[in-house]
Amino acid sequence: MSTIQERDLQRQERFEDELIMHLERDQFVAETSRPVPPAELSTRAKAGLWALRIFVVIVSLMVIYTFIDQLH
Amino acid sequence: MSTPEVTASPLLGQPRARVGGPQITDEDIARSRDRSRVHHARHHSKRWRLLWLLVGPGILAMLGENDGPSMIAYAADGAQYGLGFFVPFIPILFAMAYVCQEMCMRVGAVTHRGYGELVLQRYGRVWGWFGAGDLTLTNLVTLVAEFVAIRVGLAYFHLGAGVAVALGLALVAFTLSGGRYWRWERIVLGLALFNGLFLLAAILVKPHFGAVAGSFDFSPFPGGSFNTLLLLLASTIGATVTPWMIFFQQSASADKGMTPRDVKHGRYDTAAGAVLAAIFGIGALIAGAALLSHGGAGIEGFAGAGFPEALSHVAGGAVGTVFALGLIEAGAVAILTISASTAYAAGECVGVSHSFNSSPRNAGVFYAANAGIALLAAAVILIPGAPLLSIALNANVLATVLLPVSLVFMVMLANDRGLMGEWTNKRSTNAIGIAVIAFVGLCGAAYGIDSFLQAIHLVGS
Repeated sequence: MSTIQERDLQRQERFEDELIMHLERDQFVAETSRPVPPAELSTRAKAGLWALRIFVVIVSLMVIYTFIDQLH
Repeated sequence: MSTPEVTASPLLGQPRARVGGPQITDEDIARSRDRSRVHHARHHSKRWRLLWLLVGPGILAMLGENDGPSMIAYAADGAQYGLGFFVPFIPILFAMAYVCQEMCMRVGAVTHRGYGELVLQRYGRVWGWFGAGDLTLTNLVTLVAEFVAIRVGLAYFHLGAGVAVALGLALVAFTLSGGRYWRWERIVLGLALFNGLFLLAAILVKPHFGAVAGSFDFSPFPGGSFNTLLLLLASTIGATVTPWMIFFQQSASADKGMTPRDVKHGRYDTAAGAVLAAIFGIGALIAGAALLSHGGAGIEGFAGAGFPEALSHVAGGAVGTVFALGLIEAGAVAILTISASTAYAAGECVGVSHSFNSSPRNAGVFYAANAGIALLAAAVILIPGAPLLSIALNANVLATVLLPVSLVFMVMLANDRGLMGEWTNKRSTNAIGIAVIAFVGLCGAAYGIDSFLQAIHLVGS
């Protein structure tokens, strides 16, 4: 590699280093690509979430049924 | 000493060694450029410059939700019931929206991750995919309604559905072409400010300002059947808080590169969005109320150019023109923000790159989902005889019904000390958040159940 190319590369690296110092470490894509650990939900919390989910699905089906019924 | 990592230099396009640091991508470089301007403004105490750099996701979420169906819903409320009740009700709903959206912004700024990926990783794939499924369904229905709104606006100028589709898709393609979050955000922000056309329409109908001020006592309460009242509540709630806003603001805050230091400005951004959206929403209501003395004429003609045309007859051609332009703007901005929320959710749930700062080559799923859902919605409005009016009117109701689950996970994330540390919700925020979930859930469920019972003739209308 010629001296000019090497100098350009070094200048470019300095520029990049100055740029990326404005990002927090956990903002880098390499960091955010790592999954967060799963949370431990209590049985009551799980049951509550499932109850809400089932309720919402039932009401959604009612709304969709009504929508189709109104079309006729 | 740590081992040097070999990374590709995005600027020179060749590998280079970086000692002890994380791998750097194009996305990091683009985001760090935006952040360097924020640091510079903060370091030099340029307060207005800092605010200008940090506003965006909050205003876009709020004004994006002042979309075609929402503005039609507000105007229809005004045309059928006048100003009373709804003038104070709209600010209350946007105050509720502020509480929800502030949580999204805060979680995005602290964790640097989107809503979809956090729910999926933290609470399990089932919940993540359920959320993404809800979002895709409501977004598709809402996007169809946005194209309908553009079509209604264009019909006033004697332009057809083909032009509406071309305009919507051209905007999506144009905004996606830059490869930078900043560019996308500023273009959509510029367009979103034209939501103020509804305020102009309100001024042009020359309302009696004493009557507007007097309507803040919540009277008269809307009359009509119980089901009609529930429909009004459900559709008006769906006009202010929806699942896509939750996905969008958290993901956009992370994509913008916001950090905990920016939370204060994120709150200003969200509050400004809520205030502007409430003012413009009330503008649509006041404009629609001009039709009140004419029996709410024009609502039934929604599938054509009904509303702007009716306003034109009653309040003058300028009001009709401004309202039609407003509908085109509202539909166009919502197409961009709602498509973006779908793209974020798709990328996050599949686990691939999901950023406007990535190139289409590196974030294929993100760009494909963004353009794909807009294309799908556009195709629906070109189907001859499709029930576009019914879809548009039911879009907000469906969003209201599905919203409580998204809100529950939002509150859970905002209270997750493992993720949020010192940035978890205060007790007062939790109390308001739970009240919002209960209110939204009750209104949505009451309307869904009552309508269903009427549809199967178990109760009379």
